[in-house]
Amino acid sequence: MTNQQQYLAQRIRVGWGILAAGLVIIMVGAALQMFFTLPFNTRIVSGLGIFIAGVGIAQIVRYRAVLGSQQVAARVVNEERDERGRIIRARSGNRAFWVSLAMTYFLLMWLSFASSGSLPEPSTDAIWFYLAAAVIVPFAAYIASIVYEQKNS
Amino acid sequence: MENRLEEYRTKRGFTQQTIADLAGVSRQTIISLERGRYNPSITLAIRLARLFGVQVEELFIYREEDDQND
Repeated sequence: MTNQQQYLAQRIRVGWGILAAGLVIIMVGAALQMFFTLPFNTRIVSGLGIFIAGVGIAQIVRYRAVLGSQQVAARVVNEERDERGRIIRARSGNRAFWVSLAMTYFLLMWLSFASSGSLPEPSTDAIWFYLAAAVIVPFAAYIASIVYEQKNS
Repeated sequence: MENRLEEYRTKRGFTQQTIADLAGVSRQTIISLERGRYNPSITLAIRLARLFGVQVEELFIYREEDDQND
């Protein structure tokens, strides 16, 4: 088995692992719903399991699809393991981390000062929207950094 | 870092994609290397030199000014 085939086989195994984990979580969610009364909707657990199982299935389908052609498989592996690509993703991830850290720290400081009355207390909605932005903005920074680095390095 | 990658590649009639496939990298990496925008790792430099049957120093030209410019 070539190096590239080993890599693809390993990615497919990871996909099966993720799918198995998703199925386990679905069953746990179903069991919680059937046998327990909990202070939250236990379908959230099953829903999470379905999402994870979907990620596993997508991974399996993606990598099995390229196994048919050696050239395509080799290109997919080269793209994923490409050293320049890895460096660009690492740099971009680092920038996104700092953006995320700054946003999270800002909210933490605001809430700290708000608890002592120095700043106005934000509403639950405002906190929700800010946290949503704290997910989207670092992701946007990550993508923008990748695009910039691809053009300039 | 200056390199003769494009010169050696075109002399042998290879495309960028062919070199990328043989070296185990993406075509974009080969493009960036040829434009001098990216410096390869030592293992990639050796793989590329072996592809063309030359020494690394013949393919990639290191000058001390390159360090100062970084």
